[in-house]
Amino acid sequence: MLKTLRISFSLKNTYRVNGIIHSLKHTPLIKKLIPDMWYSVIGLKYFAYAVAGLWEFLSAFLGKLSYIFFMIFLPVFLYESMDVGQVFLHIFICLMVIGSYANTYLFNPSNDKYYALILMRMNAKEYALVNYGYAILKVLIGFLIFGFIFGLKIGLPWWQCILLATATAGIKLSMAAIFLLGYEKTGVGMSENKIGVPGWVGIFVLLLAAYGLPALGITIPLQISVGIMAFFTVTGLLSVYEIIRFTDYREVYHQILIDYQNALHTAQDAVKEQNKKRISVDADIVSNKKGFEYMNDLFVKRHRKILWKSSKKIAAVSAMFIVALVVACFIEEEAKSVINEMMLTWLPYFVFIMYYMNRGAIFANTVFVNCDSSMLTYPFYKKPKLVLELFWIRLRELVKINLLPAVVIGCGMALMLWVSGGTDTYMNYVILVVSIIAMSIFFSVHYLTIYYLFQPYNLNAEVKNGAYHIIMGVTYFCVYLFINLKMSTFIFGIMTIVFCVLYCIVAGILVYRLAPKTFKLRT
Amino acid sequence: MRFVLEHIAKSYDKKEVLKDVDFTFESGKIYGLLGRNGAGKTTLFNCLNDDIKADAGSFWLEEKGDKRDVIPEDIGYVLSTPTVPEFLTGREFLKFFIEINEKYIKDIKPLDEYFDMMGIGPDDRDRLLKDYSHGMKNKMQMLINMIAQPNILLLDEPLTSLDVVVAEEMKTILRSLKEDRVTILSTHIMDLALDLCDEIVLLHNGELEVIDRAELGSHDFKEKIIAALREDYHA
Repeated sequence: MLKTLRISFSLKNTYRVNGIIHSLKHTPLIKKLIPDMWYSVIGLKYFAYAVAGLWEFLSAFLGKLSYIFFMIFLPVFLYESMDVGQVFLHIFICLMVIGSYANTYLFNPSNDKYYALILMRMNAKEYALVNYGYAILKVLIGFLIFGFIFGLKIGLPWWQCILLATATAGIKLSMAAIFLLGYEKTGVGMSENKIGVPGWVGIFVLLLAAYGLPALGITIPLQISVGIMAFFTVTGLLSVYEIIRFTDYREVYHQILIDYQNALHTAQDAVKEQNKKRISVDADIVSNKKGFEYMNDLFVKRHRKILWKSSKKIAAVSAMFIVALVVACFIEEEAKSVINEMMLTWLPYFVFIMYYMNRGAIFANTVFVNCDSSMLTYPFYKKPKLVLELFWIRLRELVKINLLPAVVIGCGMALMLWVSGGTDTYMNYVILVVSIIAMSIFFSVHYLTIYYLFQPYNLNAEVKNGAYHIIMGVTYFCVYLFINLKMSTFIFGIMTIVFCVLYCIVAGILVYRLAPKTFKLRT
Repeated sequence: MRFVLEHIAKSYDKKEVLKDVDFTFESGKIYGLLGRNGAGKTTLFNCLNDDIKADAGSFWLEEKGDKRDVIPEDIGYVLSTPTVPEFLTGREFLKFFIEINEKYIKDIKPLDEYFDMMGIGPDDRDRLLKDYSHGMKNKMQMLINMIAQPNILLLDEPLTSLDVVVAEEMKTILRSLKEDRVTILSTHIMDLALDLCDEIVLLHNGELEVIDRAELGSHDFKEKIIAALREDYHA
């Protein structure tokens, strides 16, 4: 048993460590320091094992700490008028149910499982039980520690704090047992990556129940919460028997991992197949343009679904939100002042929202896999003049795609400002609209520029450029910092607009200077 | 016209893939580039096509004694796995390509004439390239490179995965194309190299070396090539 645990742990680590070295090797500056040999240096491996071990330890606890703290403990204080202990348990139980099927450990298809079970043919049952046992142990210990810390703080008695841990482990075990019994009946294995529509609806409903019901003053009564936790503690214990008794782990994993296997064995084909499906076969799509405009026109028309669908959806959902808030302003006098203040001080937060809504990453990916990956092998396509010509055409397309939701949100915000009582500085209306549009253009320019300057993909559409990851990480970090910034819309809006204009100019210059050299296939 | 490579070198970490590639190719000939797996054939092509930057060395074209740099239009590169923009139809791709390169293409013909030339049937011309078979994609890629009339045509394992009929058609096309240009074809298949190529060049130990056919019969010539490549292995 211990041996299985050690082997699977070391397999996972080797995979992690090599992954780390591999990305380091593709990071500028650092890559020069790392020779190929690094993969085989024993000392380094041991060091990396230690790091990975430490990481395993920390992630087990930090994950659970942040989960309980951010998802449960903090939100409790939003509902001031309620009994904190009761709300705490209410949210805890709703989320616990989500976790029971969306985060099972046992049915999570992952690379290390694939390597261990399919490639190295380890004993599936032993592998499953040992690793699952280890995962459940981590749940028990993590939740015991942090359940105690936050539970006691919130005023729960000690025995309820223990129940938090046993119920979380218990419901996971129970679900696992149910899935295994289900497999024995139907022969269909459960994969947590494929929870389907009912699964997602369940998550949505439970999240709504977790955070929405307390706002209406409704929670699960304390006694019932305790009862539920006790119930799952008991069923969890009973389920252990079923999980140990179950014999067909190999078949179950084979089924779960088969997609994985296909994806890995024929990664290239699978990616290609998927990309092909993105191309519309509608025979009516034609274009009467010329040259690059012709190609781009056909590209956008045949990829309308992937390029435009989300953008339209986002615009529609945003419009619904705005209408709801506008209606709220008319119904509830209190809402007015809150919304008015938000519109005048929350603009920085929208940097984050606009970042998330931007379709730039998908756009760059689609453009690469279905067009540039093949076209870049033709020398004429790499001529500097043509690279730049196509860059501008694509930028125009991407800006258009992102502009739809941006206009809806910008105008919606101006509208909300107006119905919520307005402002004396009339410029604020203009600034709201223009700065939201500026942010949208900024992110469009940013994504496309980064794509042209770093062209991170290889022929298989895998990202092979550490610098690209770093820039994306830094972008995210910068955007994240804006979340907590509260600043007057007037000042922040003007700063945003000026910044976006400057950035676009700089990006344009960089693309002109560098893209003809950087825009090529990675090998 | 001559295509001159001078002291081209390329290493990955400490592995010297190309040590000192020094060679002059002449137009009108098809060169068969032979080398073992990992010898660096594709690396060499990628350097010449400017996909990878060589660590050292240079290459240029010589026309009537005048040296000039190689520009993108000079090179045609046909990969073993054909790469075509799958969202376009054959006809659209051809139209797009011709429009972009109008200035450089001599005597542009009606599109259908080009398809006829390659033996791509009327039914297939308006289908999306994603639905083309491997061989047809290969033909399409070859067609584009034919129309562009590059001075240097690089072919990486061009016929390996084609069915016998298409492969034979492609050979005929390649032979018809060889005038006025340098054609370099990398392959593992010795018979193909002997059948199609005017010169056999070995890439081994990171260098290029021409194997003189002299008066050797086919069998002895093969033996000579294999012996030379074996040497590489023991080196």
